[in-house]
Amino acid sequence: MELVNIFEGLTYLKPEITLGIGLLLIVLLDLFINKNKNVLHFISLAIILITGYFVLEQSDVSKAFLPISTQTDRNFGMLTLDAFGIYFKILVLLGSILLVFFSITSAEVKSVNNRLGEYYALILGMLLGMMLMISASDLIMVYLSIELVSLSSYVLAGFTKLRSRSSEAALKYLLYGGTASGIMLFGISLLFGITGNTNLYEIHKVLISAQVNSLTFSTAIVMIFTGMAYKISAAPFHFWTPDVYEGAPISITAYLSVASKAAGFALLIRFVKTVFVMFSEQNGDWNLIPIFDWQTFIIVISILTMTLGNFTALWQNNLKRLLAYSSIAHAGYLLLGLTVLSDKGILAILIYFTFYLIMNLGAFYIVMLIADKTGTEDITKLKGLGHSSPFLGTALTIFLISLVGLPPTAGFIGKFYIFVSLLDSKMILVAVIALLNTVVSLYYYIKVLKYIYLVKGDKIETIPINYSNYIVIITLLIPTILFGIYFTPIVNLANKCVLLLNNL
Amino acid sequence: MLTEFGKIFIFIIIAILFVGIAILLSKLIRPKRPTNEKLTTYECGEEPIGTPWVKFNIRFYVIALIFLIFDVEIVLLFPWALSYKDFGIVGFLAGIIFLIILGIGMIYEWRKGDLEWDRPKINSFNKDKQEVEE
Amino acid sequence: MNIYDIIFYLFAGITIISGFLVVSVKNIVHAAFYLLFTLFGIAGLYVLLGADFIAIVQIMVYVGGILILILFGVMLTNKIVDVEIKSESFQVIPAIIFIGILMGGLVFLMVTTNWENNELIIPLTTTKILGNIILTDYILIFELLGILLLIALIGAATIARKDKV
Repeated sequence: MELVNIFEGLTYLKPEITLGIGLLLIVLLDLFINKNKNVLHFISLAIILITGYFVLEQSDVSKAFLPISTQTDRNFGMLTLDAFGIYFKILVLLGSILLVFFSITSAEVKSVNNRLGEYYALILGMLLGMMLMISASDLIMVYLSIELVSLSSYVLAGFTKLRSRSSEAALKYLLYGGTASGIMLFGISLLFGITGNTNLYEIHKVLISAQVNSLTFSTAIVMIFTGMAYKISAAPFHFWTPDVYEGAPISITAYLSVASKAAGFALLIRFVKTVFVMFSEQNGDWNLIPIFDWQTFIIVISILTMTLGNFTALWQNNLKRLLAYSSIAHAGYLLLGLTVLSDKGILAILIYFTFYLIMNLGAFYIVMLIADKTGTEDITKLKGLGHSSPFLGTALTIFLISLVGLPPTAGFIGKFYIFVSLLDSKMILVAVIALLNTVVSLYYYIKVLKYIYLVKGDKIETIPINYSNYIVIITLLIPTILFGIYFTPIVNLANKCVLLLNNL
Repeated sequence: MLTEFGKIFIFIIIAILFVGIAILLSKLIRPKRPTNEKLTTYECGEEPIGTPWVKFNIRFYVIALIFLIFDVEIVLLFPWALSYKDFGIVGFLAGIIFLIILGIGMIYEWRKGDLEWDRPKINSFNKDKQEVEE
Repeated sequence: MNIYDIIFYLFAGITIISGFLVVSVKNIVHAAFYLLFTLFGIAGLYVLLGADFIAIVQIMVYVGGILILILFGVMLTNKIVDVEIKSESFQVIPAIIFIGILMGGLVFLMVTTNWENNELIIPLTTTKILGNIILTDYILIFELLGILLLIALIGAATIARKDKV
């Protein structure tokens, strides 16, 4: 019947279809490969790379709405394809590629080698969910993609089920996640009840033309925000983060802390931008429909998030927990980019997230190498790491300095853009609070460095690293330093993507 | 005017009344002479041993989980089955792809042995008994 | 008050009373059985709303599947055979206050809001209409549900399976 119409839509969906087929392929191959399961690492890597190729191939598409339906009369569909989404998809895919390298090395993944097929099937499912989450422009798709991501990550968090901590992490994740998505679904139903639509663009039209009950509307928005805040671990929906990050296998922790967060931010930004922004001014400031006070709301959430994250991190002695709280704090900084409600803020978020991905994965990789060898994630056990394994010590130092946001690392540039966008919008007080938070965060990162270099006592044994470990660390290390000095290409790229977000 | 659901509703009410009245009536007219023997749980004439509250084998749970997922699949296929003919080959393929995805899930369960019922180890006494039965 | 109103209050009553009993009875197994009536009552409400397919799904999936799973869960977790399975309530007063505020707020919203409602004639059966929607606007969602179910299947089997160590 309308076969042509469907095929036309499908050409835009190449990356997602590749992932779907890849997922099925992994499930099937796992059943017939009994001896050498390690080959699955490379098959998954190949699938992710092919997906990445298709995503890059789409980068010349300025903006496309994907109804993917047999009807022609629908203007907007489930998915929106634009440069902004592609930027985030590339980030998520980069994270996934690194995750494969994490998994090849990780001792925890090796211990469940006979279930490697399930491991990658779930990861590809999660990746598919995140790709859809990034480009979702219909509330049904939003909900379904969040569920796909959540379901896979619940299982992955408890994947090494012989450890009770891991099972605890999975259960806590499931309980909090179920509640959050339930609240979100209720919010979606309220929003549907008010506007009679689930498509974000249609809701936008309704909001412009008709008067809606603002109290009910705000309730619905707060409820929907709950689901997204849960994914980016913003306060007060962050309680799951430390426990899950501590209990899950490190490779999964690292993945959750960057990829799942990237998808959450992409979704949140798209939601705000699509539903609320009437038009952007020449200097990039947004004109919002004055029905919900996003600025105050996000300022409160983001200050709460970073303050809670940073101050709780001060007392942590477990490296994974510390990085979990630090990732909560980083979510707070990232949200600041949204508070200014302008294209500059989004630009800052894109830049910050790129650097955050690199440095956070780097830090987690080294923590994983250490934990695999010593079996502990305790900070006080890191004594003398800088002397016994100078390369690892130096690399960890650079990543942590970058996480603080000190020059000359990439983290500084990220923070710099966030602060500039805040100052541009004359939000001096918020900027000062963020700055004070950075100072607090300095303390706990420096505490780790103190143990690495200064504390005397029984030294930690030398951590053996092979060539592939070197290569992974160096590929993460080079951009961390290089982008601290020469960051123009990333800024230009992000700028292009933000500009393209505007034209509807 | 009575819809199909109205009929079902009446059916449900009659079913409840039927059972309720039967139990109530028999309670009123039956003689009550309970003895210890009569009050024990009826187990095909055997003496009941232990409590009925035993810990279930985890296999029941796995099977129930698998059942639930395929249950949802069947439910989703109902609307498809009613209308795929109107959409020609596209409609047909949509359902087939859906079925293939779930079929792969089925193959997965099968190959991994989740559908096999691992029997508890039979000790020699039961084994003899079983051989006799066979 | 016509016959529909009476049936509505009947089902609503079943739902609310058994829902209250689910959270208040001590014996978990009894709670699970009261849940059956709650789910059944909701299915009745769906029918009254003209959503017959959803009602069938409610019966098939929730009553026929999830409730069984919950009962299995209760029986599995009961480690020591002879101990009575009980659940206790804590923090009753704060919970009542919180729930009261929440309910008050939601009822207030429900009453004051100008809901978007199309005056549609409710069709006798919705299943075929749903099928048409699934194969047009929501075809992507339909296939994605397949993937979601596959992931759920793999995840559940992975967690529940005994490891051959």
